[in-house]
Amino acid sequence: MEGTKASRAKLKLALILGMGSIGIVILFILSLTTGVMDISFHEAMSGLWNLIQNGGEHTDNKELVLWQLRIPRALGVIAVGIGLSVAGAVMQALIRNPLVDPYITGVSSGAGLGATLAVLAGVSILGMTTYSLPIIAFIGAVGAFMFTMALAEAAGGRPISYVLGGVIISIAMQAGTTLLMYFNADRLHGVLFWLFGSFAYLDWSSVKLIVLVVAVLSLVMLLFAKEFNVILLGDEQARQLGMNVRSFKTVMFVLVSALAAVCVAFTGVIGFVGLIVPHLVRMLIGGDHRLLLPASMVLGANILLVADIVCKTVVAPSELPIGAIISIIGAPFFGYLMIRMGKEYVM
Amino acid sequence: MSCDDELTVKVDNISFSYGAKKNLCAKTLKGITIDARQGQLIGIMGPNGCGKTTFMRCINKVLKPQEGAIFIDGKDLDRLKMMEVAKICANIPADVPDDFHLSVEEFVALGRYPFVTGIWWEGEKDEQLVREAMKAYHVTHLKDRKLAELSSGEKARVLLAKGAVQQPKILLADEPSAHLDLKFKLQVMQALKDLSRQGVTVITASHDINLIAKYADLIIVISEGGIISYGPPAEVINEDVIRVVYGVEVTVLRDNGELYVIPLRPVDPENGDDEDTRPREKGIVAD
Repeated sequence: MEGTKASRAKLKLALILGMGSIGIVILFILSLTTGVMDISFHEAMSGLWNLIQNGGEHTDNKELVLWQLRIPRALGVIAVGIGLSVAGAVMQALIRNPLVDPYITGVSSGAGLGATLAVLAGVSILGMTTYSLPIIAFIGAVGAFMFTMALAEAAGGRPISYVLGGVIISIAMQAGTTLLMYFNADRLHGVLFWLFGSFAYLDWSSVKLIVLVVAVLSLVMLLFAKEFNVILLGDEQARQLGMNVRSFKTVMFVLVSALAAVCVAFTGVIGFVGLIVPHLVRMLIGGDHRLLLPASMVLGANILLVADIVCKTVVAPSELPIGAIISIIGAPFFGYLMIRMGKEYVM
Repeated sequence: MSCDDELTVKVDNISFSYGAKKNLCAKTLKGITIDARQGQLIGIMGPNGCGKTTFMRCINKVLKPQEGAIFIDGKDLDRLKMMEVAKICANIPADVPDDFHLSVEEFVALGRYPFVTGIWWEGEKDEQLVREAMKAYHVTHLKDRKLAELSSGEKARVLLAKGAVQQPKILLADEPSAHLDLKFKLQVMQALKDLSRQGVTVITASHDINLIAKYADLIIVISEGGIISYGPPAEVINEDVIRVVYGVEVTVLRDNGELYVIPLRPVDPENGDDEDTRPREKGIVAD
């Protein structure tokens, strides 16, 4: 006998979260063993165990590397993977366009311009030298997103308006970044690493912040999974089902831009994750946000962990920029989606 | 269903206008008054841009009339929250959101949204109603299919199921059969008729005069925002009304209480009667 739909969905959810979490744990440990210094699986496990027991007190160089570099990095990758995927899924529902994500809506390029300003033009927030870059990148990200929203609303707020608005804002932001780089060609290295996207420079204090923001905001969005289903019907239909659409959308737009902005502010431009992950999940298990959001979270973390491990190992001891790797996979996928959905998005 | 004479919709002299710059004429609706009783199927007729859609959007509180009052189920609409309106009044949208991989069952279940008490999941009763509605509209076999994979006839049935699952006292259906072929048109109208016989007050707008005359208990003819005529189809529909409202010469045949409208030709434009109302539609119909 089949149980109720809710009980079947709960079972499915438990299965997804269980499998996804196992994947995350395995990849997390694998991630600890990859990098410039040779650390074996056994050393990683015992080091991790010692560190947890001693509260981060390291006894040798390998534990130092684990504690200072690899653990925060892997945690950061997981958090950003979760954050970008949730942000993508939520933006797609709010805008009612399955082809948007933080990259398409200008968040990433806005953060890019902000970061470039911070590094090259030396713009800094008074008294906050360490966090100048992420803060200014954050402001750039939120600003660009708001511009995109305003532009799209002014153009009639149709689902396609947001894609076009995002393209326009992205081009403008990238042009600003290019000009800044052109006039500061001697100091490009610092900003290039950021623009390519990298988890190499994550330290504990930034990771804690990312994890906290991603955890809180994702949880809030999860709580409203049912409402994200209703919003797919369109504003007027959602209102007629009793939702307070305007305030829901306003709050969620603010939260989702903050979530996406925090993810890119510390780690740089990592596109397409927020687009690909919810799409893959929809194809696999359907569009109900009560399953879609949690599944996107674990899949996003898994995919980004794999990508980061690839970046660390392919050209070791050097590293590939993760943003570029993700985009190499993401661009053809995006193209495929466009062709598949072409009939519905005739411009 | 205790009392068949219960008034479920009372519209008392409402007037509505959109922003002045959007519209040429000041008011989209002018002094509309109707009473609809429980279990009546009410058809709204009128040319494009006459205010049909606006009128229906006022009834479920999407729009707020500047003058007059609306009572649904005996309660002043002004004082009801949207969530309370949603428990009384359902609406059949024109289309389904088909690029988000929602399944038929998930979509129909959205109709239960106003009633779900949990944070996430529908309760057993909600699921029971969803199953019953899918069965009643013959979409059970489609329950795991994605909305994008459905034919228009199947979509129409799914939309009806979503409306029915809301267990409304009032059901609004704006052009529910617009894109359907003849068989599905009849099926949709019969489904609305059945709902009305179960005690739901159904208000539906349609351009198909014959269809609406066949099924509606009462017809409201709206032209330029005002009610031209209001009553049973046999009394309301005649050559004169249709000439005035639609600008079309017709012959109305009557046979055994049934009524058939046969269009002949547009009223001669040189008489000045054939004013094109289409451009105004843009300001009025928005969905």
